[in-house]
Amino acid sequence: MMNKITTWICLFAIVVVAGIYLAGCKKQDITFNTTNDVNIVGYLDKNIDSFSLFRQILDRTETSSFLNAYGAYTCFAPTNSGVTTWLASVGAPSVEAADLNTLKELVKFHLLVDTVGTGSFTDGKLPVATMQGQFLITGVSVVGSQASYSVNRQALVKQSNIRVGNGLIHVIDNVLMPAKVTIAKQLEANPDYSIFVQALRETGYYDMLNTVDQDTAKRWKTVIAETNKALRDSGITSYAALKARYSNTGNPANALDSLNLYVAYHILDGIKFLGDIITAPSHLTLQPQEVISVQLINQEVVVNEDVFDEKVEPGILLIRNTSDNSATNGVWHTANAHFAAKFRKPTALYWDVAAFDEIRKLTAYYRKQSYPFTKQNEADRPIKDIDWEYKDASRTQTYEFSSSGSVTNFANNQDVFTIAMGPPNRSAWVEFKTPVIIKGRYKVWVCYRVRTGSGTVSSCDVKINGETMQRPVNFTEFRPAGSDAELESLGWKRYIENTSGNFTSRMVGIVDIKTTERHTFRLEPKSGSGAVTHIDMVHFIPIDENQILPRFRPDGTKIFM
Amino acid sequence: MKKIFIGALLIGLVAGLGSCNKWLELKPQDGIVGNEFWNTKEQVQAAVTGIYSSMQASTSGDRALPEYFFLWGEARADMVAPGFRADQDEQDMVNLNMVATNKYVNWRSFYQTINYCNTVLQLAPGVLQKDPTFSQVQLDQAVGQALSIRALMYFYLVRSFGEVPLKLDATLSDQNIVSIPKSSRDTVLNQIVSDLTSAETKLPLSYGNITTDKGRVTRFAVNAMLADVYLWMDKYTEAVAQCDKVINSGQFGLVNAAVYFNNVFFNGNSSEGIFELQYDVQRLNPFFNMHTPQNRRWGAAQHLTDEVYGVDATNATPIFDVRGDLTSYRGTDFTIWKYVGADINGDNVRSPDQSFANWIFYRYADILLMKAEAINQLDQPLEASRIVKTVRNRAVIGLNTQQNAVDLKTMDSTSKGGMTLFILEERQREFAFEGKRWYDVLRHAKRNNYQQLNLLLNMAAVSISGERRQAAFNKLRDKNSHYFPIYFYEIQTNKLLEQNPFYK
Repeated sequence: MMNKITTWICLFAIVVVAGIYLAGCKKQDITFNTTNDVNIVGYLDKNIDSFSLFRQILDRTETSSFLNAYGAYTCFAPTNSGVTTWLASVGAPSVEAADLNTLKELVKFHLLVDTVGTGSFTDGKLPVATMQGQFLITGVSVVGSQASYSVNRQALVKQSNIRVGNGLIHVIDNVLMPAKVTIAKQLEANPDYSIFVQALRETGYYDMLNTVDQDTAKRWKTVIAETNKALRDSGITSYAALKARYSNTGNPANALDSLNLYVAYHILDGIKFLGDIITAPSHLTLQPQEVISVQLINQEVVVNEDVFDEKVEPGILLIRNTSDNSATNGVWHTANAHFAAKFRKPTALYWDVAAFDEIRKLTAYYRKQSYPFTKQNEADRPIKDIDWEYKDASRTQTYEFSSSGSVTNFANNQDVFTIAMGPPNRSAWVEFKTPVIIKGRYKVWVCYRVRTGSGTVSSCDVKINGETMQRPVNFTEFRPAGSDAELESLGWKRYIENTSGNFTSRMVGIVDIKTTERHTFRLEPKSGSGAVTHIDMVHFIPIDENQILPRFRPDGTKIFM
Repeated sequence: MKKIFIGALLIGLVAGLGSCNKWLELKPQDGIVGNEFWNTKEQVQAAVTGIYSSMQASTSGDRALPEYFFLWGEARADMVAPGFRADQDEQDMVNLNMVATNKYVNWRSFYQTINYCNTVLQLAPGVLQKDPTFSQVQLDQAVGQALSIRALMYFYLVRSFGEVPLKLDATLSDQNIVSIPKSSRDTVLNQIVSDLTSAETKLPLSYGNITTDKGRVTRFAVNAMLADVYLWMDKYTEAVAQCDKVINSGQFGLVNAAVYFNNVFFNGNSSEGIFELQYDVQRLNPFFNMHTPQNRRWGAAQHLTDEVYGVDATNATPIFDVRGDLTSYRGTDFTIWKYVGADINGDNVRSPDQSFANWIFYRYADILLMKAEAINQLDQPLEASRIVKTVRNRAVIGLNTQQNAVDLKTMDSTSKGGMTLFILEERQREFAFEGKRWYDVLRHAKRNNYQQLNLLLNMAAVSISGERRQAAFNKLRDKNSHYFPIYFYEIQTNKLLEQNPFYK
């Protein structure tokens, strides 16, 4: 009896223990992941209805595992309908049937190694190249009345900025196709550019524009092409006519031949879409030392509209809808008219430093009263074309005007730009952007109002495009006595009508201006730290011209005596 | 002995329980709970004041509403330029690069104020029984103010987002949190009109002193709001009727040019003001940290001097538009002067503790120009031009009927189209930085099924940098892009909300 009970108890205990043991075996729910966010491929799998074909492409090209690992990518994911359209266009019945190498290129063309949201989309190229190597261009296009971002003019973004674990996804409605041919081939395929293309061939630039350099630093070129119509408008109806007009040596392949230079002037280094072109005021061309200047006027990209000798020379337009054409080695644009680098004789520039746009707009101040410009912090630019080292907001640079005060009474326009400079408390440099200077050799004259007294900058380096001029300026130094000729031989002149020695002009040296554009003019004080350095003008006068005349009157007019 | 012991124990127990009374109390001792509030008329008045207070500064740590009024009305338009302290979200707004994560499209403070209004609307009527000194007139005033401010909030929302959830009952406790979907624009606008119409009869013409008349919603303020709403709905006859109520009252006038800046903007509550959000030493506005030169998030756009106010180059003594340089902005460094300027010489900026310029919702000049706009749409350009001329005459010091503000172009009083544009430009000059520009241009652009869409494009051409301009043009051609996306947090928490079409 006792035994039986013990057996029962034992059995019961075993069952209970086993039960507890088994219950303990139940798998515990432990989270092993730090996040539940899916990665790019995970997102495609979650929405497999729309992306099954793109998913197949990723599998076939063996990129799925790569895109499911951590990193920072931007993926343009085409929907099934987009992929179907593309498959039909290449004549493949299914993803399996498509050419593997094409697919690999294709996948790389849809990926960027960075996260680029729609906030970075501009009218030009994206800031990073695709993994395939070419850049994507973006924009916004309107279909019906609905606007959406467009990519490479091939696809519209249907859903943007989807954040996943390893980057961003933009859903697009079509497959993006990298350009297959070079700039040269694209232009050649279009009969509208036949004359220009023939010029490319004859001058040898065709080969340059037909190669895809493996070194991406050298690969990209930008071409501004001229249509036959643009040339015809200028009376050039055939290549022969173009050659007759330009070629001076008879051999266009010669780098010194003018036809060769004409073509070189239409090619820029680097890949510059219109959105990129307008961000800089000028771009160097392949024609040595020649630039095109660029402006955005009434939404049009205008090339070479410049002011020379106070006259506006009208520029030419880049036609938007036939520009921004991507090729394997760059991009090309179309100009609406014939253009070439102009030969310009070096011309004297009498630059009134105290007449910049910002002060001219202040009608209550310009030529009426003084006004200080405050730089609030490092990034602040109260004057677009003049910048100085930020010390603190109380250190101002002043536009100074007075018709009676002795500081400005005889100055050109009766105003000067008064600079506070000199370390430690004032700016160690002040930098100006000059007006356009035509390339050539110039003598540079700094015209200032003398100011003596302790602290006034007594030695100041002048740098033009970073190059230090031969002679520093001492802003405390008066003009010595002597005739104009004697003074000139010593590097002095009187630049105003009045004979006051307070206003004087010092030659700081000779500069070789290499390109016709705006240059930088920088002052770096070496001794002195005063608040009052008065600069009135800077003259750039070609070395073979009269350096002394004209002189300037208080009303701003010139006199030649 | 035993009895004594039991007796002592009982006494101790009773005493202990008695003292426990407070201790077991669940009500907070340092505040008031809902069912103890809403008993007296003072509490109703406090609740109404709370509505205004919630507009002056957020009660939940968010930005103050005037910051949103300013950003929503100006950032996408052409009067301002982001300063060096503007953040990426503000830059994106300027470039029309809106995404749902942009923190400046968060509407929660608007709905917070709406909830304060709803609370008053729901609970104030009950006080009538509880407090015999609380009269029907006082109740009407409370309800009228709550209705009109709720309408004003929805008017901002519907103009900015298009379709928004229409919440008309109060969220008093956590049980009352419900998800509601968006209502159509027409539903929201009709609600606004019916709220304002019923508020109009409830509100007095005056509360008895100037500050209260400008700082609280009066019947005139409701008329001004209604006129604005009707203009937005293209109902011109109704808009004119509302404007006329204000004009015919004779209670308002245009402030003389010589004291324009001082009276209207620096001191506030001028004879021109109809409804202004009041700030003072104890309640500072958010503008010091937005507009002062050292903290600049926003400055004036550079083209204002040349292209908006104009420079008189012909007269010996140049005519000078007082609304421009040194009133709206400081031309020397393009500081927005209306809110932070302390004098009309451009010398002194308000100090941080003096930053209490009012936010002006409506002023008399607005009524005049709204009327001009409405009657011009009703084919009376000549009448409209007379009103515009009144406003322009005021803009010159030394009033003289021959004089005008600088005429950038001639006002063509014979053509409706010409006057339409001229009135829009006049509003631009008159209400610079008052949070109206984007809505003004959008209202003109959308009229007659977006006939004047180019107005928005012209504005983008001024305000958006070259490399993004073409993209912006094409975005603006999609009319859905004229409205903000719904903030992502709202979409996540309210499953019934659907993102606005342009941002899906």
